[in-house]
Amino acid sequence: MNAFFWLAVTVAVYLLAKRLYRVFGKIYLTPLLVTPAVLIAILLCSGVSFDNYDKGAGWLSDLVEPATVALAVTLYKHIDVLRKHAPAIAAGAGCGAVSAIVTSVGLARLFDLQPNVTDSLAPRSATTPIAVGVSQLVGGIPTVTAVATLITGLFGLLMGPPIVRALRMRTPVARGILLGTSAHSAGISKALEYDAATGSIATIAMMLTAFVTLAATPWILSLLG
Amino acid sequence: MLNMRQALHWGKTAAQIALLVAFAKAADLLVAWLHAPVPGSVAGIALLFALLKLRILRLEWVELGAKWLLAEMLLFFVPAAVGIVDYGSLIAASGWRIVLTIAASTAIVMIVSGWVGGRVAAGRERKMQG
Repeated sequence: MNAFFWLAVTVAVYLLAKRLYRVFGKIYLTPLLVTPAVLIAILLCSGVSFDNYDKGAGWLSDLVEPATVALAVTLYKHIDVLRKHAPAIAAGAGCGAVSAIVTSVGLARLFDLQPNVTDSLAPRSATTPIAVGVSQLVGGIPTVTAVATLITGLFGLLMGPPIVRALRMRTPVARGILLGTSAHSAGISKALEYDAATGSIATIAMMLTAFVTLAATPWILSLLG
Repeated sequence: MLNMRQALHWGKTAAQIALLVAFAKAADLLVAWLHAPVPGSVAGIALLFALLKLRILRLEWVELGAKWLLAEMLLFFVPAAVGIVDYGSLIAASGWRIVLTIAASTAIVMIVSGWVGGRVAAGRERKMQG
């Protein structure tokens, strides 16, 4: 079968999932969940192997890196927000990123997960391209990290607003840091539902989380033995 | 039907995406050539930011392409996420423990980052007023 077939199927499912979410607006219909779920179901039902699927659809993976580099444009546009709130965002995102690595590894060990799965979960709070890069660096399984990061985004959508309410977070700074640090781009989309300022703070928090995760994961893992 | 303005918009977006793809590739090659211990994408972010800051690259040259790439980021990760079909035995053996780890850790990260960030911001606010 033509390799482009699975590329086309993937894009079609993605576009349909986005439309579905726009029309119904239910959180469990987020394209984050629906797109991979539908494609996995199609592969399992048709008996097509992942290798075969990836020959065509894998072209999409080549756009991950340019998309990551594009974050520089976001950083450039939001640099004033960073300058104004640097201490709060650095402290919040820094402590958040470190606690993400420590608690992921700690809980994974508590639950007796395999070592390479534990390493795959360590960078899951960073934005997916950085998380996957770090995972490769520390001996994790990139696919497991990609999925763990996706699940992190889903929990961010689900738990973000209730936790914001429970902690009585009323400022854009606190809300943005909470959402961007814990749930990367999914958190940013939630932050934008409050207002643009919260979205900018979340964007900067996500970027700092990515950098801290990149710098700190290898030595936290070696520190924890 | 596409009108002239839309066609121009999409043409520009496509050209800027191509520019960012080439830029990312160049950053990769540079990192490999220098044996630098950072992922190519991080070097790419730093380089692109520096070029924008130094006004060697203008924001208008990359803004539309960057916006599209970031808006559709999820699509580019779909193949990686679908790759989990090859990990059926891992999911069967430890799926719920993995999900529980992620849920609990995410909640902790929210509480820590929101609380610390909020406290530091409030402290600075008081100092500025005081």
